[in-house]
This record gives sequence, C-alpha cells and structure tokens, in this order.
Amino acid sequence: MISGYLDGLEMVLQLGTLLAIAGGTLLGIIMGALPGLTSAMAIALLLPVTFGMPPVMGIGMLLGALCGAGASGSIPAILLNIPGTPSSVATTFDGFPMAQKGEAGRALGLSIVASFFGGVASMVILSLLAPPIAEFALRFGAAEYFSLSIFGLVIIASVAGKSLMKGLIAGLLGFFASTIGTDPITGVGRFTFDQLSLLTGINLLPALIGLFAVSQVLKDAFEYDPSARLKASEHRVDIARPRFLETLKHWRALMAGILSGSIVGPVPGAGGSIASLVAYDQARRFSKSPDKFGTGHAPGIVSVESANNALLGGALIPTLALGIPGEAATAVLLGGLMIQGITPGPMLFDNHDGTVYGIFLAYLVANAFMLLIMCLGIKVFIRVLMVPRKQLLASILVFCFIGVYGVDGDTFNLYLMLGFGVLGYFLNRYNFGTAPVILGLILGPIAESNLRRGLQAFQGDWTPFFTRPISLTFLIIALLLLVITILQNYRARRPA
Amino acid sequence: MERDLGKPLFDLVLLIASAAAFVHASALPNIDIVGDLSPAFFPQLISAAVFVLATPCFINDLREWRSTARGDHPVGHRRAVAQWLLVVALTLGYTLVFERLGYIPSTAVFTFCCVVGFTVTSGGLSALSMGGKVKALAAAALFAVVLASSVYYVFTELFDIPLPG
Amino acid sequence: MKKLLGTLTLAAAVVAAPALAADYPTKKIDMIVPFSAGGGNDTFIRALQPLLEKRLGEDLVIRNIPGGGGAVGMSRAVSSRADGYTLLAASNAMLTLEAMGNVAFTHDDFDFIAKVVEEPYVIAVNSDGKYKDLKSLVSGATSDTPIRIGSSGVGSSAYITARAVADITGANFNLIPYPGGSEAISAAMGNHVDAVVLGGSELRSALKSGRLKGVAMSYAERSDSLPDVPTFQEQGYDLTLTVWRGIAAPKGTPEAVEQKWVEAIKQIVAEGAYDKTARNLGTEVSPLYGEKLDEFIDHSAEVMSAAAGDLAK
Repeated sequence: MISGYLDGLEMVLQLGTLLAIAGGTLLGIIMGALPGLTSAMAIALLLPVTFGMPPVMGIGMLLGALCGAGASGSIPAILLNIPGTPSSVATTFDGFPMAQKGEAGRALGLSIVASFFGGVASMVILSLLAPPIAEFALRFGAAEYFSLSIFGLVIIASVAGKSLMKGLIAGLLGFFASTIGTDPITGVGRFTFDQLSLLTGINLLPALIGLFAVSQVLKDAFEYDPSARLKASEHRVDIARPRFLETLKHWRALMAGILSGSIVGPVPGAGGSIASLVAYDQARRFSKSPDKFGTGHAPGIVSVESANNALLGGALIPTLALGIPGEAATAVLLGGLMIQGITPGPMLFDNHDGTVYGIFLAYLVANAFMLLIMCLGIKVFIRVLMVPRKQLLASILVFCFIGVYGVDGDTFNLYLMLGFGVLGYFLNRYNFGTAPVILGLILGPIAESNLRRGLQAFQGDWTPFFTRPISLTFLIIALLLLVITILQNYRARRPA
Repeated sequence: MERDLGKPLFDLVLLIASAAAFVHASALPNIDIVGDLSPAFFPQLISAAVFVLATPCFINDLREWRSTARGDHPVGHRRAVAQWLLVVALTLGYTLVFERLGYIPSTAVFTFCCVVGFTVTSGGLSALSMGGKVKALAAAALFAVVLASSVYYVFTELFDIPLPG
Repeated sequence: MKKLLGTLTLAAAVVAAPALAADYPTKKIDMIVPFSAGGGNDTFIRALQPLLEKRLGEDLVIRNIPGGGGAVGMSRAVSSRADGYTLLAASNAMLTLEAMGNVAFTHDDFDFIAKVVEEPYVIAVNSDGKYKDLKSLVSGATSDTPIRIGSSGVGSSAYITARAVADITGANFNLIPYPGGSEAISAAMGNHVDAVVLGGSELRSALKSGRLKGVAMSYAERSDSLPDVPTFQEQGYDLTLTVWRGIAAPKGTPEAVEQKWVEAIKQIVAEGAYDKTARNLGTEVSPLYGEKLDEFIDHSAEVMSAAAGDLAK
C-alpha cells in the first residue's frame, strides 16, 4: 500500500498534472459560484479535454472541478441568499444573516476552511474505508431508502420557520410537485397536461433557482429604496480572510458535518442533497444554544460547509468501489473514468499500479488548490456586495436565466423558474419558508417510488419496512426526532 | 402590525388548489401491478393533508386580519408594489423573447429596462435635469450592452454553454 | 476555458485542425444530446467530439436537452433547420419513445447519418445468488413467487427489452423499474432483485468485477467484449436487439453534409482512433451507413413497437 501511495505521488507531482488539477478546480469554483451552473456541467465540459491525458491527470482535473464547485456554492448563498445548488440551501440559514450584519467576510472565511477540512477528512475516510462503506450502501433496498427519506423529511421540522404547521405545508407542496410527471412504477402521466417538458417531472434546478434566487430578487425589488442606501463601508472587507482557528473552535459542528457527509453521502441517489441539511439539523440539536442557529451563528455555517465537501468524498465511495454514481456529478465523473479505461470496482482498490492512490492524492491536492484559490479570491467575492442594487438585481436575473437555460436549453423551465419565484416570494412573506419545499421535492420521489417499489417487490406485504434492521432503525430515529421536536415546540410556546 | 389581506388569501388559494388537485388526481388512469399503490395514491394523500393543515392556518390568519386595526400602508408601499410588478413583468417578457430575439438583444433590453425601471419607479428620474436624464439613460444602456455581450462571450466561448444565438 | 486549459495542460489531443477545403462546415455545429450530461449517449458523443472536430475542422457544441426521457431534445432536433448545423446524438431511445406513442415524431422524420457503436442488452444475476443461468431463472419464475427483474425507468429501452424477454421466455417476471441503470445494478448487487436487464456498457464494470454474472445477451452471436455470456439465440429464444448510438439529422439535410459526416466517421473508424475508447465504454465500433442503416433502424423500430405492446397508449 505504501509503495502504491509512492507511485501515486509520483503521478500527481508532475507539473502537467498539478496544472490540470488547478485548472479544473478554478473552473469548478467559477461554475459553482454562478447560480444554476453545477459541478456536473463543469465536469462534462472538461470531459473531452481529459481524453488523451494520463488517467491521474485527467481524473485529477475532473475531481478538481467537483471539489471547487462543492466549495464555491457557498459564495452566492452567503452574499446574496441565493444557493446555487441544493446542497448549499442550508448555507443560507446562517451565512446570509451573518452577511447582513456586515460580516460576509467572516462567513466566507469560515465556509472556506470548513469546506477544506470536510474535503480532506472525507478523502481520508474514502482511502481507508471505501470498500466496507460501499458494501454497507449495497444493503439499501427499497425499504431502507423509504425509511431514510422519512428520516430526512423529519428535518423539515428543523428548517421550518416560525410556524411548524406552515413549514409542513411547504414541505407537502414540494412533495406534491415531485409527483408531477411520469409515474415511476406504472408509467402513467400525472399532471403533465400534454407538456413534453413535464414528462420527466419538475426539474430541481428551475425550482431551486426560482424559490431562492428569483424570490429573493422579488423581495429586494419590493424593498428597494434608493433613499436608504446601504453604505459600502458597512461590509467590512478587512475581516475577509480564512478562519482556521475559529472553525476549529466549533469542532462539534465540524464533526457533525464531516460525519453526516461521510455517512449520508455514499447512499446513491439520496445522500448528495440532504447531507448538509442533516448536518445542520444535528449540529443544532446537539448545540448548547440551538436558538442562535438561523441568526448568523458560526457553527451553522461550519457544519453545513464541512458536510458539503465531505459528501463529495462520500459520493466517490460507491462510484469508485462499485461503479455506482450517486448523482449527476459523479455520473459524469464515472464516464471520465471509463473513457480512461479505469474500471471501478473492488479490484480497483487491490490494484497495485498506484492509479487509485494517485486519484486519492489528486483529490487531496484539489482540496489544497481549492483552499488556495478561495483564499486568494475572498476579497474579490465580497465586492459583489458593492455593486449598486438595481444593477445587481438585473445581473442576478441574467445569471439565473443562463443557469436554467444552459442546463437543458428548454424555455419551459424559464417559465417554471418564474412561477416558483412568485410562489417562493409569497411562501416567505407568509412564513411558510422555501427550504421545506426543496426538501419535499428531493425526498418526495425517494419516499414514494421506494415505498411502491418495495410493495411491488414484497407483493403487497408491508412488514419488511418494519422488520429489516436498517429500515427499522431509521424509522425509530425519525420517530424519536419527531417526538423531541414536538415537545420542544410545545415547551417553547407554553411561557408565551 | 400591518393589516395584510394577502395572508388569509394565500391560505384560501392553498385550500382551493389542494381540493382541485385531489379531484384531478382521482381521475388518473391506473395500471394494475400486484402490490402497488395506485399512481393517484400519493397525490391524493398529499393534497388531503395540505387541505387539513391549511384549514386552521386560514382560520387563524383570517382572525388575525379581522382583529388588526385598519391602518394606512407605510410610506412607499405603492412604489414597492410597482417595483415588484415591474420585475415580474420584465422577467416574463424576457422569457418570451429570449429565444426569439437571441441572447444579446433580449438580455440588453431586459437589463436596460430593469435599471431604468427602478430609477423611474423610485422617482429618481424626474428629479434629474434633462442632461442628467440623458446621462443616466446612456449609462444604463452602456451597462446593459456590456453585460449582455460579455456574458454571452464568456459562456458560449469559454464555457461552451450554448445560448440562443 | 477549455482552450485555456488545453494549453495549460499541454494536452496534445486538442489541437485545432487546419480548415478543410469544402464549404461545409463554416460555423460551429450544434449537437443535441437528448439526455443529461453523464449518460451513455452523452459520454459516447463527448468522447467522439475531439476526433470529429479534428476531421470536420469546426467546433461541435454539445447541447444537453434532457426533458421527457429524450422527447424534448429529439422534438427540438426534428424542428430545427435541416442545414447540417443541428444534429442529434441518436440512440434506441428514439424508437422506444415512438413505440410508447408519447411523441409526435417518428424515426422517418430523421435522416440517419451513421450508426457508430453498439452494445448488447444483457440479463445479469448476482454471482452469489441462487440463479446461475437463464434456464434456472425461467424455471424458477413459474412457481408462486415471480422472479424480480430490475431495469431502468418505465418506457426506457432497457425496460421494454425486459418485457420482450419476459414475453419470449413466457416466465413470470415481476418487472421493477428503477430511475436509472445504476440504481438497478446496486439493487442486484445487494440482492434486492434477482436479475437486471440493462445495456452492456452500463453493466460493464459490474460484470468485470465479478459482482454480477451475465446469463444471456441480445446479439445474434457471441461477442468478443463478453465472451462468456451466451446469446438468447443459442439458448433457444429468438431475440436479437442491440443498443446502438449514432448521428442523425432532421429530414431533408443536404446530401453533401451527410457525405462529409460519413467520410469523417469512416476515417475515424479506419484509423481505429475510437476503438479503445469505445471498448473502455463497454461498446463496440460497428459502423453502418446509408441504406443498410435505414433497414437496420426500421427493423429495430418494429421489434421495439412489438415489445412495448400494451404499455403504449
């Protein structure tokens, strides 16, 4: 193994490889920071370039894009309250309030360092434990996925705003939206109204951009008041620097993020989007001051951002160990691996030519480049806030259009984005919140299709959902969390 | 607290929409598969749950609305609504012409209208002298053209992301 | 960025080729991929992209238009101008959509330029499971509990092929649709289903690692890429189908354009430049052009529409 790492190191420490990784990371950071552009797009864009490169160089470049985009999604989330990807939704909870206090630089500094630690920790876990974790992920059948999604849906209670009931309604709205499209089991069209674009259901991206970015622009437009101009000096640039010590001080939140990312991340199809929300939920539950979460509290940012990059390492586990990609970005990455002639699977880890170790090390290097580039850029990012409001609002919408149109070239999704924007505006205005909608939209199909798939496989028998150990465990945890939440809610309300 | 009819009204919309969705879902076709719940099961379950949860919200919000004294809207409310509608209308228009006009013209027009629109609704334009007006419009036009063409160049040439030509 | 990185990394593969003499192409060519990035169709064309760009002397712009299981992108291709500047990365999905009756176009609305690669459909079982071959699957399925067969989404070509397998073997298969191939594979590895029916390239790493075992595949004869997997034909079932990928254009595209493309692809095939990549992706280069291609497409469309059967509206 040590000789494997030495061989791998030799492959990574070459000028061309290092430059390729740096270039990939830079592209990932840029694409990740623009709302709507995703790491999957960055990787797809680089795929033809890797053709003809040695494996570690090509894969290293793709991993750089993955890592960069994973970290930079926090930039618009913190500065503008606009998450570019589902996994940075939770970054807005504390990142944006902190920025509104004039401490955007501090929020960015925390998120960069937390991303870095999350990425490195998950690389270590990936290199040591990938095969057993992948085996564990295989034990997830329909029953387990269903219970996992129920566990995830309980988080709605945590991210709901002032009213638990309205938060639940928002979650249900997202769940309902997810049933639009071709029915996953029978193939019957549901609520498609003969619209081709709806056959595969509502796309997550226009919904996300609409609910968060467009609704935020509408709110800003409503509140736009030229006489009350925010002074540029209120945003302190001098505090914009990476915050190593402060991040480490919140080690509990950091651990919550790393563990959630590494445990939930490897579950194909489910982990990517919810790991950071799970991390936020856990960090808040085990905090001594849960009330401070949502007000610009540092541990909130640390937990989410460390989870965000830890889940990338987690998602690489089934991709490398089984050849099963969890979501879009790793699916494109898998294409890159196959073009290179690298066959994912257990024997990849027994391979003695050092390629797999080279890939691990390349991922580590990508994290280092991410840290470096983000640290160099931090004072630049923050200047976005100094763009005059009306120009900024127009530019945000322009970028939203590119993100939504660029992914699938379908104007229908632009209308969908605007519709979700208006809906999101009212949901926020009347205390329903928009984060539960996204959770419902992501987890809804997992819950529905796996419940029905399970019932089909078990011939209509419900008991396996309660007798299979992993499934039962998730259900019990979900029930416990639900009871605790209701009790806390009840207690919080009584004195008032 | 500001008296806001929109709050109970939004709940009412939810009630009506969930009822409509429930009815629509009951008409969904089904294909019999052993053990499977029908395609209509979840849409009906969810819309029923929304209806049940939204009912108390509606009653609460309506009560709150009736008990809040009728007060004047805060200063600038009309302007705020105008700005909100402006953005919705411009975004809708932008979507309509996005593919037809091509990227650079549609984006430049949209950006220009946005910036100028905000200046107009906030009363900033009428406060300016003739020369100032021309200057402000020219600045907005310049910003719009530069933004549209640079974004187009960066995304199509450097990032290979296709935009309507 | 791509060009910048290319220079940065000294990747010799992306050097711009000198302009070709003939008129076409004089500007960038849009290549519609009717699926999202990362799918088989997308990887196929992205790997081919640099080779094609070199021979055509112009950039290919890959447009992923994924909605509707390919329907949105293909409809867009049908309605584009037939001038050779909008092409489609075509595959079986076109024929299954047509068979399902969900779309307004048929394969007759396209000019097929070339078939480039193909792969078989494979039915595979868990190597440690109780079924070892097609015979035991079929005989096991006649008892009370049907055999659980995983496949990708309802209406996908793999799902329709699974139905065709069920029909032709007469076995009691419980077809369980998964959102995509990888979910079905992971279900088979975890013993949540008894077997899967998927395209050979999706199954490649699972078969190569020995986790899954192919028990039958849909070529007419055994293939070098999967020498150990017997065909349906040799096991007594008349089922021949392939997953193919190639290039199509909207109907009425000029003959000269088609010639240019056929030449470029013939050249790539002759030089063997794509062989290794195709093999790595679990496919084989098996080019087909002109009338033979049209016959092949017509035949595949018939088989698909028969297999879709009562699924179709």
